[in-house]
Amino acid sequence: MPDTARRPVFEPSAPNPYLPQVATVLEVIQETHNIKSFRLRLDDEQAWAKFSFEPGQLGQLSLFGVGESTFVINSSPTRKDYLQFSVMRAGEVTSALHGLLPGDKIGLRAPLGNSFPYKELKGKNLVFIGGGIGMAPMRTLLLYMLDNRTDYGDITLLYGARSPQDFSYAEDREDWLKRKDMRTVLTIDSPAEGWEHRVGLIPNVLTELKPSPENTVAVTCGPPIMIRFTLQALEKLGFVPEQIITTLEKRMKCGIGICGRCNIGEKYVCVDGPVFTYAQLKSMVNEL
Amino acid sequence: MDMQGKFIPRAQLDDWLAELAARFRVWTPRRAGQEDSGAVVYLPEARQPELNRKPTESAKRVIFPRSEPLLRFLRKPDPDQTGQKSLELQVPDADGPNLVFGLPPCDARGFLVLDPVYAGVKGQAGDSYYLRRRSQTVLIARACSRALTTCFCHWVGGSPSSTEGLDVLATEIQEGFLLQPLTPQGEEVLDSKLLLSAGKEQMEAAQSAWQAAEKTLGPGADMQGAQEALRALFDNAAFWQAEAASCLSCGVCTHLCPTCYCFNITDEAVGEKGVRLRSWDACMFSLYTQEASGHNPRQDKAARLKNRIGHKFSYYPELYQTRNACVGCGRCIKSCPSRLDIRAVLTKALALSRPAAGKPETTAPATVRPAAKPKVNKPATSKPVAAKPGAAKRGKEASHA
Amino acid sequence: MAVQEELKKIILGLLPQVDCVIGWGPGPDLLCASPYFMRRPEEVDNFLAGPMATQNTALYLPEYKGKKVALVVKGCDSRSVAQLLAEKLIAREEVRIIGFPCAGVADMGKIAARLAPHGEPGEAEKAVYGEKELRITMAGRELVLPLAEIKADKCLRCAHPNAVFSDHFAGEKAAGNDDEFKDLAALETMSLEDRFSFWEKEMSRCVRCYACRNACPLCVCRDHCVASSRDPHWLTQADGVSDKLLFQVTHALHLAGRCTGCGECQRACPAGIPVLLLKRALSRAVEGLFGHSAGLDPETRPPLLTFQVEERTIKEKAW
Repeated sequence: MPDTARRPVFEPSAPNPYLPQVATVLEVIQETHNIKSFRLRLDDEQAWAKFSFEPGQLGQLSLFGVGESTFVINSSPTRKDYLQFSVMRAGEVTSALHGLLPGDKIGLRAPLGNSFPYKELKGKNLVFIGGGIGMAPMRTLLLYMLDNRTDYGDITLLYGARSPQDFSYAEDREDWLKRKDMRTVLTIDSPAEGWEHRVGLIPNVLTELKPSPENTVAVTCGPPIMIRFTLQALEKLGFVPEQIITTLEKRMKCGIGICGRCNIGEKYVCVDGPVFTYAQLKSMVNEL
Repeated sequence: MDMQGKFIPRAQLDDWLAELAARFRVWTPRRAGQEDSGAVVYLPEARQPELNRKPTESAKRVIFPRSEPLLRFLRKPDPDQTGQKSLELQVPDADGPNLVFGLPPCDARGFLVLDPVYAGVKGQAGDSYYLRRRSQTVLIARACSRALTTCFCHWVGGSPSSTEGLDVLATEIQEGFLLQPLTPQGEEVLDSKLLLSAGKEQMEAAQSAWQAAEKTLGPGADMQGAQEALRALFDNAAFWQAEAASCLSCGVCTHLCPTCYCFNITDEAVGEKGVRLRSWDACMFSLYTQEASGHNPRQDKAARLKNRIGHKFSYYPELYQTRNACVGCGRCIKSCPSRLDIRAVLTKALALSRPAAGKPETTAPATVRPAAKPKVNKPATSKPVAAKPGAAKRGKEASHA
Repeated sequence: MAVQEELKKIILGLLPQVDCVIGWGPGPDLLCASPYFMRRPEEVDNFLAGPMATQNTALYLPEYKGKKVALVVKGCDSRSVAQLLAEKLIAREEVRIIGFPCAGVADMGKIAARLAPHGEPGEAEKAVYGEKELRITMAGRELVLPLAEIKADKCLRCAHPNAVFSDHFAGEKAAGNDDEFKDLAALETMSLEDRFSFWEKEMSRCVRCYACRNACPLCVCRDHCVASSRDPHWLTQADGVSDKLLFQVTHALHLAGRCTGCGECQRACPAGIPVLLLKRALSRAVEGLFGHSAGLDPETRPPLLTFQVEERTIKEKAW
């Protein structure tokens, strides 16, 4: 009998990819006027013990009754007291997430997507260039590298925001500025009273810092306009597209490459991303 | 096809469907609505199937419902912690086995397009809701006796009597139907006292019905190179604007399509309880890719039409290394309020990609070659890093979100 | 067709002055045309006007804001243009209107119903519209359908077959009919329960494609539709009749006093749901209350978009 109805196999015991795990909010940190970070932990002890992820991977946060939204897990897999997500208030779900208090229940589907090529980056110098909320996806990789410091070469962080009040991660920043094993440069768009760091747009400050492209990889995240000029600045400094890594954000629903909305040609940001090299972006259809 | 077939007289058809309804939820195409309007839709009614008109909608809703609950949630005061609420999540009970009688063969082939997507792409988990229903659905198609002017199954590897994806093929002959089993599930449903053994004559009658139907198909098309042709046209905004000029940005094409599978996930809550729904969405809707920031990567209808056609004939076959994501049912043409013709867009795209001497359409017999194997992804040389999984191809300016 | 040829001449004359001329051209089959966007003289050869020219060309006007376009309009299409102008949704100086005496368009549902014993419309090998009939060849046999039997209902009751205003007009003006809202009678004789179950049954076929909304030239909320808005959250995405009907009722109410009865919502519906009836009921109500028919005058603001302390036709004291 010819096999004309090759049905896909259904395993009743297979996990339901849409069923979030229940987590509890441990701590809420007001980062800026419109960004909050949430630290959470899965309620199921066994699942929590087994939970693992790689730097750069995504999580879908669920507020039941409101919906789901996708964020990079911005804590490091090396520090597993909690998972941290930073949320900028923009739409329905993010606004509702901002109302969460410690002890509240939330749903989590994670980890999703690919990750930063942190293994391949061993032995390289790193330049992190983050603008505003763009620091969030890079934070996980930076923390991972600081916790495995000897595996990596020089680490430079250029972190910019509109004003001194628009920086997140105050505790981290203090540490990063103090550390001798990394160089941290902060910049704001226009002068502000009491500001002791740089003033200037990120691409301009980057050009002044003049990082060498030699054995170096640049990781950059931020608003589209900043990315556009940062890429230009990096290329002028001699970085080739293969040496530049970024993350993409797209509207996502399923997070597992089915529902269709985050595609760029045949690539799905939720599965093939969120991490892409600039070389990969250049090879994809031009629909960002 | 030389399998032992069965025969059912037309007058007995409803009896057999009623018998099947004891074991399955039986869906049939049924005429519904007013005499001068109305439609032929799939309903869970095991009687009087409309077999002379092509169903207005595809059969996909049987396995991929228009809207279905993914889970239900309930918040209750936590007895252990004052002021806190506990959260309960429930996955709805699965529905029972389905059987569709009387779908056209193209609708069955549509499920073969959906299957690899819902089985899980690139090591992702499969979609348990789809897979459960899919594995429990028996498909009994009726061979088409005539093609419509909008039919183009032969462009994409199908035919009026295609058996692909079927459990049973029913062919209308004389005063009834020849029923041919194609799978063990098909054999099982044909195990009924109401069915007679089919003889050689009936088999021959069916064969001539298939041949007659083939002859009613319009000119075929050589789809070779569609994948590359659409890729090459990606940045040709003028082409897509002209083709999309009449588009309404509605969801007729996607919602009637047997192979469109995009969905939305939304929560509906009343007080402390509610449901998370998965419902059909359409890449033709302007809000589909709208981001909270206000940015929309597919702002205009030209970009959306390009995505729909690109997905069917370029992205999907490249990603799944398989057939086109189109079975040529022609519903997107037939029911489009603007009568936008996907065949015309494809023909123009192919013509633009071929040397001027080549004709975009041939009247040759309906042979359709499988989509050309895409270029091998050659990683760029001296590539210090690659995000995983890696891939690199055509070059172009890219910005970032 | 003489009128069609005359229209082509007008279009050719206008081409150099406008970004494009919107009319009708060949569709995927012979029964129904497609909207046609003409920019080059050679494209005008394929222009069609007649019973196959079903679509409302006015739908596209707001998309061409800032550009000059010419529009070939049936009487009903011209009413949509007038209404768009009345609501200041388009600019008069950006649009040239080409009218002609419309003899009515074909209703694909009626054609399908008349052909049912023989096959379905898509099986037609040949279809030719004549002055009084449609000749269809199916399986080698010619079938003749009188136009009077397959004309859209809106055409049978059309009071304005000629453009209500135009910059150019081809042919002799045709006579109109009276619209007595007879289409509402059947529903209105039903009990409320029966009427509700009628709508429940009809709406159960709705696939939520929103062709009704997107085909409506006066549906102007576009990306801010109640159908998908989450804040406020009016409709659920469940596949239930109540949500679907709620959308239709919202749509109809939003069009009260604005709907010109072009019927595109109903024509566009793939499920053949008679959604125009809801709008017709409100149109009649607005006519009765305000003495206003939408889309007859580009200068008149629709009554529900204006406010008067004393409405001329509403006797509040009498309540």
